[in-house]
Amino acid sequence: MAEKPRKLFQWKDRYWRIVRSAVQALALALFLFLFLRAVRGGIPPQAGNLFLHLDPLAMLAGLLAVKAYVKGMALALLILGLTVLLGRVWCGWICPLGTTLDLFHPRRWKNKQPSIPEGARGIKHFLLTVILTSALLGSLWLMVLDPLTILIRTLTEAVYPALDRIIAALEKALYAIPALRDPVSALDRVLRPALLPADPAFTAGGVLIAAFFAGIIALNALAPRFWCRYLCPLGSLLGLTGKLAIFRREVNADACNNCDACARVCPTGTIRPDRGNASDPAECTMCLDCVSVCPRAAQSFPAHVRPAGWNAYDPGRRQALAAIGAAVGGAALLRTDQYLRRDLPHLIRPPGAKENDLLSKCIRCGECVRVCPTGVLHPSVTEAGVEGFWTPVVVARAGYCLYSCNACGHTCPVEAIPPLPLNQKQQQVLGAAYVDRNRCIAWSDHQECLVCEEMCPLPQKAITVDYSEFSGGAPVVDRTRCIGCGTCEYKCPVNGEAAIRVYAPGRDSV
Amino acid sequence: MKLTRREFLRWTMLGAGTAAGAQMLAACAPAASGGMTRMPPPAPAPGATYLAVARGGDDPEALVRRAVAAIGGMERFIPKGANVIIKPNVCTAGRAYEYAATTNPWVVGAVVKLAREAGAVRVRVFDNPFGGTAEDAFATSGIAEQVAAAGGEMEYPSAMKFVSVDLPAGEALKSTIVYGDVFDADVLINVPLPKHHSLAQLTIGMKNMLGVVRDRPLMHASLNRKLADLNQFLIPTLTIVDAVRILTANGPTGGNLQDVRKLDTVIATHDGVAADAYATTLFGWEDPERLLYVKYGAERGIGRSDLENLQIEEIAVG
Repeated sequence: MAEKPRKLFQWKDRYWRIVRSAVQALALALFLFLFLRAVRGGIPPQAGNLFLHLDPLAMLAGLLAVKAYVKGMALALLILGLTVLLGRVWCGWICPLGTTLDLFHPRRWKNKQPSIPEGARGIKHFLLTVILTSALLGSLWLMVLDPLTILIRTLTEAVYPALDRIIAALEKALYAIPALRDPVSALDRVLRPALLPADPAFTAGGVLIAAFFAGIIALNALAPRFWCRYLCPLGSLLGLTGKLAIFRREVNADACNNCDACARVCPTGTIRPDRGNASDPAECTMCLDCVSVCPRAAQSFPAHVRPAGWNAYDPGRRQALAAIGAAVGGAALLRTDQYLRRDLPHLIRPPGAKENDLLSKCIRCGECVRVCPTGVLHPSVTEAGVEGFWTPVVVARAGYCLYSCNACGHTCPVEAIPPLPLNQKQQQVLGAAYVDRNRCIAWSDHQECLVCEEMCPLPQKAITVDYSEFSGGAPVVDRTRCIGCGTCEYKCPVNGEAAIRVYAPGRDSV
Repeated sequence: MKLTRREFLRWTMLGAGTAAGAQMLAACAPAASGGMTRMPPPAPAPGATYLAVARGGDDPEALVRRAVAAIGGMERFIPKGANVIIKPNVCTAGRAYEYAATTNPWVVGAVVKLAREAGAVRVRVFDNPFGGTAEDAFATSGIAEQVAAAGGEMEYPSAMKFVSVDLPAGEALKSTIVYGDVFDADVLINVPLPKHHSLAQLTIGMKNMLGVVRDRPLMHASLNRKLADLNQFLIPTLTIVDAVRILTANGPTGGNLQDVRKLDTVIATHDGVAADAYATTLFGWEDPERLLYVKYGAERGIGRSDLENLQIEEIAVG
């Protein structure tokens, strides 16, 4: 008998792990590319939202809260469809936060599983129920827990500014060496403003956002992908959808020799040796590590019509009722916040965003903060009350709303900030500026200044000069023209609180 | 590449060590304020044109060429091999040149061409806008495009390049922080455009030099005296005033075409005070010293404001 010709390439099951890692790396790279380039790189700002539009939790919660369709929401059906076909592929192959967590996979879990009660898996379902119920009641405040909003917020307000400071310090040190001036200058020109901000970026509580993220990473020390197993509300949504998955993992009992290799490597710990190494499709991220390590090729992914069974940790009637009750009570309590009786004077929203509207439309993703070229938008820490935590606010002492820019409205994936054409945005009132004559150095000290008037970007300046008290002139705001862009407040040379401040227009008057 | 923890730490330490070493080396180097490499602007020969004004036509480049030719050509100001910085007024992003908030891009382009033709090796155009990013401002003003077409480069402001300087002769301004590359250039050409400005009344050339100072809001107290100090310290080699369009109200940011007047005029002179003094006449002023920084500049001997005693050549173009 003639020898069989050797194939040039023979597929081996262990290649699955390599293929999956490659797809994960590509998805993360695309995410980071869009993060960095969707403003200045010539990519339309809307394209920067690809991942958010694919995120079924963000889109479903947005849909429930707004009760209207927003362009791009349907893209999430792609991921839902994929989940109905193959289960939580998003979590194992695409999710940039999941991939990041894999990068921080501690070695101690190599070939063993942590001992955390299975019931903990129910937390994520509880969170999902609270989020969706709140959304139905018009509140999206827990969207701060969506994995993409976490990642975007952390990159925008923590990683990116910190990286910028570190690189700036290194550049400055190296630039001081005469021989290195030209190369450092050339490097700086490549980095800024294409990749890093031209001016140093400032954050609103960047440390807080970094700590939140660090916490999620740290939980990996308790179990691999702790976040995805027990906490992630998107993981819950995809998991419950994944119960319907047509193709899902099965173990062929005849081939399996109970070596339990699959159970030891499973990153979500859903393979149970005590049940013949079966797994729950709602917990399985389809990473295929089990296929890669199986010495007997004992696993297959046959088609199913019936949904997978319910487990003890899956949400029961009691848990669902508790979650709904928590959501209703929480929403009611949030509406008792004392600031709702009197508007917060310093709560300035991005151009065109209405306060009530914003709270029920904003998914807290931080995309507006990311694209803002002048650093005026920040995730609120205290400015917007508890319900408005990490929603975008205008912080005019940190930046100013650039007259020639409307990027935030065109980037917002849910149109919580309306996509105004530039000429309309240039007339959009954010608030109104008031001069504090006790602090203004022209009014109180008769010093030459007028910086606010000089910088006012309106074609017909909203700041005029009064010469009646001081021959050098002192600023007066014409509030029939002022749009509250905050340029005056930002540029005011008085230290600390500016002598000219933008105040909110009031909840319903915009 | 597989990086072990030990290797990672080694590289980190090496990087940090290099950075720290650089800081220490830099501290040993002489301070930037030690001295200026730039030559003072060459005075004209007796009887030669002191200030030239070109008017008319629709070609800003022709205006620049004629005005500069009348004061002796660019070769008078640029030694071969020079490192040249051109400082237009690009104060804000989002305004096209028609609004006369920023220097005319073809005027800047023409200055770049003249500098290249005179034998400059490096011609860079710099400003540090207060409104929006420099990238946006250079693009919307049209300047980036014309500078590239003329063979120059834009110098995008970079935080690391600012240097602290002392102004020993300063009266109101004793020390400040300026852009190092402007400070270090062999030749500095100021290319302002005349605009309305509430505090100073008009912003022209001497005021345009404020763009090289980093912390500008602080400059506004005693602005006129500080401008005289700054212009005594950082003397432009040549001033070319772009009055193709001027802004008569709502300056310096503009945005209203009704406030713009098209004059098709370019002024060239080595004397930054005289350039501004002459430019005030474009607004119908009779006494240039009503502009206080011109008055103080003349008093300090930085330049002259007595237009009636100067050799002025008026050129009709087109």
